Amino acid sequence: MSTQMTFHGKRTVKPPDKGSFPLDHEGECKDFMVKFMKCLRINGQENTKCREESKDYLHCRMERNLMAKEDWKKLGYHKVENQETT
Amino acid sequence: MGNSFLRNLQTIRYLHNKCSRKSYLFNHTLFTNSTGGQKTSVNKLSKCLNLQHIAVRCMSQNSSRSAKHNQSVIIYICAAGIFMLGMSYAGVPLYRMFCQATGLGGKAVQGHDIDKVEKMTAVKDRILKIRFNADVASSMRWNFKPLQSEVKVLAGETALAFYTATNPSDKPVIGISTYNVVPFEAGQYFNKIQCFCFEEQRLNPHEKVDMPVFFYIDPEFVDDPKLEHVDTIILSYTFFEAKEGMKLPVPNFMAA
Repeated sequence: MSTQMTFHGKRTVKPPDKGSFPLDHEGECKDFMVKFMKCLRINGQENTKCREESKDYLHCRMERNLMAKEDWKKLGYHKVENQETT
Repeated sequence: MGNSFLRNLQTIRYLHNKCSRKSYLFNHTLFTNSTGGQKTSVNKLSKCLNLQHIAVRCMSQNSSRSAKHNQSVIIYICAAGIFMLGMSYAGVPLYRMFCQATGLGGKAVQGHDIDKVEKMTAVKDRILKIRFNADVASSMRWNFKPLQSEVKVLAGETALAFYTATNPSDKPVIGISTYNVVPFEAGQYFNKIQCFCFEEQRLNPHEKVDMPVFFYIDPEFVDDPKLEHVDTIILSYTFFEAKEGMKLPVPNFMAA
């Protein structure tokens, strides 16, 4: 595993900001995940078009204690936009 | 020091010889009963004895001075040795504090990033393709693969992607993963908000689990001249097996 000593300039292996997702052992949010994947497939793998579905998935995780509750704005979901990008 | 010691010895010996000669003369004058001779020889003898006394005192002073000098030198050397030893132990936390203060060595501010997610806006004119790759260590028994081959994102927009892992064996297996971003220069713009890496993940026998990665590409990506023609970024995860009770060398940022 690369450590701090092997950096050429800025380090590129960084820890995640909010840490690690706890594993969804029971598959509680699997439906939302499947919906998101379907949306991606329909929309040519464009993330911009499937933001609602990804938001739903994260919401599911938050409800089931699989993710720390966070303001949507802090996660990059700004409601003051047109329908495409929200 | 040695020279002066020898010189002192020689002086004392010379004076001793001289004084013993003078005392012999004094005794002789006593014997011959010549008062005039007695007076001069007494004076000479006393002078000689005084000189001898002074020389002996000087030498003893010198030797005690040099002994003290030696002692202080030894004390200084011991102190310097202890200081060096102390500095080598203190160096570790001191260096860590220095790095945190100046941000050298990549221990950059993590608090900033959370504000950045809130304030950043997507750069709409450039679409970036993120491809996903999954690997396992050769001794690792999981089946690990991405659920989508690629995702098109905009810089400055948060995105979600999924990997899936299956444990086909009959025993629970603990894995820990690390990731890599290619091209190398794009790695510094790749920020993960939350993922499943660097922490132990346990899979029970015959269990299948979805692992999400929530990330974004820094909007400053589009301003980097080196990345002007880069439109594809490959994110690659590798899972290693962590045995129970095994202490992995976690990166410094996890130890804090």
